[in-house]
Amino acid sequence: MLQRTAAGFGMVGLSGLLGSRAFAESPTRQTHFAPKAKRVIFLFLNGGPSHVDTFDPKPALKTHEGKQPTGNLYKNYKGTGFVPSPLAFSKHGRSGIEVSESLPHLASVIDDCCVIRSMKTDVPNHEPGLLMMNTGNLQPIRPSLGSWALYGLGTENENLPGYVVLRPSTKIVVGPALWSNSFLPAEFQATSVVTADMQVDKLVANIKNSKLSATEQREQLDLLGTLNKLHLKARGNDAELDGQIKAMETAFAMQKRAMQTFDISREPAYIREMYGETAFARSCLLARRLVEDGVRFVSIYYTTGSNQPWDTHSNHDDGHKKLCVDADKAAAALIADLKSRGMLDDTLVLFGGEFGRTPYAQVQEKAKHGRDHHHTAFSYLLAGGGVKGGMTYGTSDEFGMHAQDNPVHVHDLHATILHLLGLDHERLTYRYSGRDFRLTDVSGNVVRDIIA
Amino acid sequence: MSKNELHRSSLLAALLVLAFVTSAPAAQPEAAKVPADAIDWNKERQFWSFKSPQAQPRPVVKNSKWARQPVDYFILARLEQKKLSPSPEAERRTLIRRLTLDLTGLPATPDEVAAFVTDKRADAYEQLVERLLASPRFGERMASVWLPLARYAEDQAHQVGNDSTMFYANAFRYREWVMGAFNRDLPYDQFIQFQLAADKFPTAKPDDLAALGFLGLGPKYYNRGRIEVMADEWEDRVDTVTRATLGLTVACARCHDHKFEPITQRDYYALAGVFASVKMVNKTADGKVVEGKVQADKMPADAVHMVEEGTAQNLNIFQRGNPELKGAVAERSFLKVLSTGEPKAFADGSGRRELAEAIASRDNPLTARVLVNRVWGVLFSKPLVATASNFGHSGMMPTHPELLDDLAVRFMAGGWSVKSLVSELVLSATYRQSSRDDVKKAAADVANESLWRMNRRRLSIEQWRDSVLAVTGELDLSGGKSLELDDKKNLRRTVHARISRLKLNDLLMQFDYPDANVHAEKRSATTTPTQKLFMLNSPFMLERAKVLAERVTTDASESDAASIQRAYQLLYGRNPESVETAAAQAFLRKPATSEVTRWQQYAQALLMANEMLYVD
Repeated sequence: MLQRTAAGFGMVGLSGLLGSRAFAESPTRQTHFAPKAKRVIFLFLNGGPSHVDTFDPKPALKTHEGKQPTGNLYKNYKGTGFVPSPLAFSKHGRSGIEVSESLPHLASVIDDCCVIRSMKTDVPNHEPGLLMMNTGNLQPIRPSLGSWALYGLGTENENLPGYVVLRPSTKIVVGPALWSNSFLPAEFQATSVVTADMQVDKLVANIKNSKLSATEQREQLDLLGTLNKLHLKARGNDAELDGQIKAMETAFAMQKRAMQTFDISREPAYIREMYGETAFARSCLLARRLVEDGVRFVSIYYTTGSNQPWDTHSNHDDGHKKLCVDADKAAAALIADLKSRGMLDDTLVLFGGEFGRTPYAQVQEKAKHGRDHHHTAFSYLLAGGGVKGGMTYGTSDEFGMHAQDNPVHVHDLHATILHLLGLDHERLTYRYSGRDFRLTDVSGNVVRDIIA
Repeated sequence: MSKNELHRSSLLAALLVLAFVTSAPAAQPEAAKVPADAIDWNKERQFWSFKSPQAQPRPVVKNSKWARQPVDYFILARLEQKKLSPSPEAERRTLIRRLTLDLTGLPATPDEVAAFVTDKRADAYEQLVERLLASPRFGERMASVWLPLARYAEDQAHQVGNDSTMFYANAFRYREWVMGAFNRDLPYDQFIQFQLAADKFPTAKPDDLAALGFLGLGPKYYNRGRIEVMADEWEDRVDTVTRATLGLTVACARCHDHKFEPITQRDYYALAGVFASVKMVNKTADGKVVEGKVQADKMPADAVHMVEEGTAQNLNIFQRGNPELKGAVAERSFLKVLSTGEPKAFADGSGRRELAEAIASRDNPLTARVLVNRVWGVLFSKPLVATASNFGHSGMMPTHPELLDDLAVRFMAGGWSVKSLVSELVLSATYRQSSRDDVKKAAADVANESLWRMNRRRLSIEQWRDSVLAVTGELDLSGGKSLELDDKKNLRRTVHARISRLKLNDLLMQFDYPDANVHAEKRSATTTPTQKLFMLNSPFMLERAKVLAERVTTDASESDAASIQRAYQLLYGRNPESVETAAAQAFLRKPATSEVTRWQQYAQALLMANEMLYVD
């Protein structure tokens, strides 16, 4: 008893107090209150997409083009001042939310989406920014949002991992600290999948025996089962040994299940076309298959060889537009696909990066202008999972420099995500090193206005 | 900033939860402490773990014949009080497997088992213990225990571009120092002193400088120039040192006085000031500092990252943890609750030497208790104080307080010898008990808190992987610079593998090796399908199965039964039961339909089996 020190977990974590035995018997946990979302897909745009080129139209940038930004942060700024987006914004859907022309597909599903235009974070640097958005902390020593979610919810399908991270290559800024379980027990860790090769046995480590047929492996496991049971019988009662025997059988079943679930080639051509044929698109499709089969939390990192493609310090206008082509189509397909399957209601989709980009130009010597990191105002798109569709929340100032009405800090976003999952961010705690930790540290307010 | 204020906001929640678990044994929820100025220090110093441990009279027991070592009287007295009796001694095969895995992290060879089982000498067991304690493998095993407490790792949790200047190219030299220290039975007080201040103790030899890696190999964070980032790093040092050696969660007092313990913000900043007064340097074996930022692959081969004296400075208390809100100056000194009267200001440079002396002191009520408790936990699988790095109010009470005291006192009186401590524990009748279940006794004490039997233990990932390599005959006992665990050619002991903060090796992570970013009080023990997938399908396991099958079937004239017996002796240190042989034979008779022979499949099943993963 009390082997796990999940003490701070409160009502929800009672099963946690009973140790892994009880946990195995009841993999799904009771949440603090009725959840609206049962699963999350986080589409993460590494490098930071530009809010003024996507969801936050700023005509004032045109009228004030070239004017220098003011305020503490910009004292030493020597660039060419404010620069407008070259993209046209127009109203879409019944809600009439303005979206840039670089996102035609997302515009077509905008009535299912909530656009937050008043996001802010603490630091305009990638590493701490990434860590803040992924773990709620500026330094790499805390559990990730996904691990916290899994800790709070338990698994929905024991034959699949509960938290899956998809990324096209192993290289990613910060690295695995973005999906670390840190001090949460190993059962809440992410299964990280590199999607460069979508062949299933290349996706999931050790999911398939390269040499043995399923029949032979079954025979091998039958023999192993016999030996393990003899071993157990000779020792009397031992629930832990029994747990090992069960885990072996689960692993065997998982092979088959994962080979199906992770295999996007089973999707019909029209679905694959709907998402597109890019690394990010394939991951979005895979994410849908995963949540369909009970994976709780999927994070897709939009990286490329250059690591963080959305970090457009130069040639911003062209570069950003190109990235949107790919991301827009796949993200919109995911939302539409989930909706057509009746899954959007309880699947939360998030779309955004670690911060936004400056409304003013970053001047480059031999290239067209870029936009720099910008943390005091940026946008996030949320869809499904109990979030109101067709609404915008919060505003940035007329230049997109600062969150103005109803600012939403990353901690607030996290609190809201947990809330949608039926978890109170103040009660979802884990006792470690003599104190109770939580995702939102000492902050976080649930943004109730966006909840349906 | 003010992250630890979490306490405040979640205090109510914590108390509610604690109310939930009051039925749990020995839980010690205490009401929140009053503010620092209201701490009754005399009263606090009477808390069990802040009082000096006392030698205990030998408890009176009925069945005194059973006792072999002083510890046995304490265990037996409790059992008799609960109307329980100890379990019979385990059979010799079980004992040698248990003992060899516990003391060396490796399984006994068939020859060793046979020799011990047939050893007619009255002191056969004592001889065995002596042999194992003298083995260089002992230090490797103990290093596996110590390194996670020291949050040992060779890099940082972040990397900017390809910059490896903050990585620790030769961290292994600290690891080897730890192994060597356990092997030569360096007294534990010096073990601590050298790790905190080898450069300040004349008793330390030049080779002992590597011990300073304990402080030097900690995490470094983004934006190191900033005061709030350095404050995070100082917290790592305070946290690691105090939890590892004192079993106190001092770092909780960074933003406010500790909520549960008599530890004030002054205490925290008095210690943080010590670490604010040192420099982190790469230093070669002859004591020369490597200048400038050096990429890991360009680092001189003998340079270890360590501390040296910097500019001594006292820190102001950062109110609510905020470096901008400077409070009173906290003079560098030791914790008040562990001092007589007011703590004396450290005067020797940074104060590391004085800190080391204050920790590794016979007057310190915690240091010996904490170590003794950890060693107990290693050998009996459950420490006497379940919260091995938290001996405060918010930790658990010892299940056997008198025993813990007695062991601690004798440990110090005997010169802080870890080998002597281990020796007494494994020579005890308590340790030699069978681990077999007993329905009646379990009904009285299902958690086995009174130790009416030995606990059955799952092997750590280090023990398990090393065992697999040992039984296939492939284990490479060399050490030195770390190899990646994924390297196919890496057939060395697991403890010699590279440990990363950036990306902990998948195998280690899946099998509960703790996150190397922070001191790890203990390992979680999870049972997951991904662990089994590794056993079932990984190239590592397929290769080991192949080698094992070859090893036990080399003699073609031998019957399957003889090969099966050979395998059982190698893996489990025993002969197979007839039913086990029969099951194997039936399996081996089936025709193979793939390139993997039935013998290989069988060998793999034996490697995957629970008997391989557990020790009775």
